Amino acid sequence: MHIPDGYLSPATYLTGYATALPFWAYAFRRLRRILEARTLPLLASLTALAFVVQMINVPIPGGTSGHALGTAVLAILFGPWVAFLSMSLVLLLQALLFADGGVTAFAVNALSMGLVAAFAAHWTYGLLGRRWPGPAAFLAGWVASVASSVAIALVLGIQPWVARGPDGRPLFFPFDLGVTLPALAGSHALFFGPLEGAFTAAVVRFLSSVQEVAREPVP
Amino acid sequence: MSPSLRRALTVLALTLLLVPAGLLTEAPAWGEWELEELERRLGFVPRGLAEARTWVPGLLPEYTLEGAPPVVGYLLSALVGVGAILLLFGLIYLVVRPRSHAG
Repeated sequence: MHIPDGYLSPATYLTGYATALPFWAYAFRRLRRILEARTLPLLASLTALAFVVQMINVPIPGGTSGHALGTAVLAILFGPWVAFLSMSLVLLLQALLFADGGVTAFAVNALSMGLVAAFAAHWTYGLLGRRWPGPAAFLAGWVASVASSVAIALVLGIQPWVARGPDGRPLFFPFDLGVTLPALAGSHALFFGPLEGAFTAAVVRFLSSVQEVAREPVP
Repeated sequence: MSPSLRRALTVLALTLLLVPAGLLTEAPAWGEWELEELERRLGFVPRGLAEARTWVPGLLPEYTLEGAPPVVGYLLSALVGVGAILLLFGLIYLVVRPRSHAG
């Protein structure tokens, strides 16, 4: 999920920015190093695909909905750092153009749906992709989605503990880890994880069947 | 155009066609409830949420175009987003100036 403005205490979102900044700087250096003129249009198209797939909301039991992220496809084909940067770009545009996800929460959103999801996918695919590319792509998507949801659940779930008013009531997101973890990790493990997995496996397979896209995990 | 790019654009176009399906559900993402819904569940609205400001109003807030049918605003948002991403990568290209051959 995209954390909106007002959900996180300033201490949390400022920590988010302080954490993300060096990662963004490093990721941009990695992008410069690995990017080729030949692959840039492909990266741009798959980043646009991630944006579009996030607009396709899928309802699940319990009155909520969600969507795939597209991070795992980018991580498998371009490596986790480039995937993190691409996803940050998507999230920035969503926050600035469509008021989807808070401007204050942008760094936290980028860390969870970008960095955490990308490395989860990258490591999973790196472990299994050589031997079982299809199932590994599915699993990479599933792990990326679930890991990202756990990261979001942790950040949201500590809010009642981080900031309370004089009356003892939480100032920001009001539900603690006992609520956020099962709700978010559970729905992603059961529904949005398999969705991300199926999307990842389908797109990676479709693209990998033509020669010039690397089948091997990007180092 | 390389075969993989052609395929990526094919997937992108097909996914764009599916975008209106994203409007079929009214259910919000978990946690992204309206404040009234939060008050109903909790009995109060946390101050930080009640006082949250929209820092940037956005071009098409919540993927809607005022006065237009939801599906029009939603599809327009998808196209604007895709256009903005391609434009930004064009700028990145100018800044990074990637090498033209694998080295």
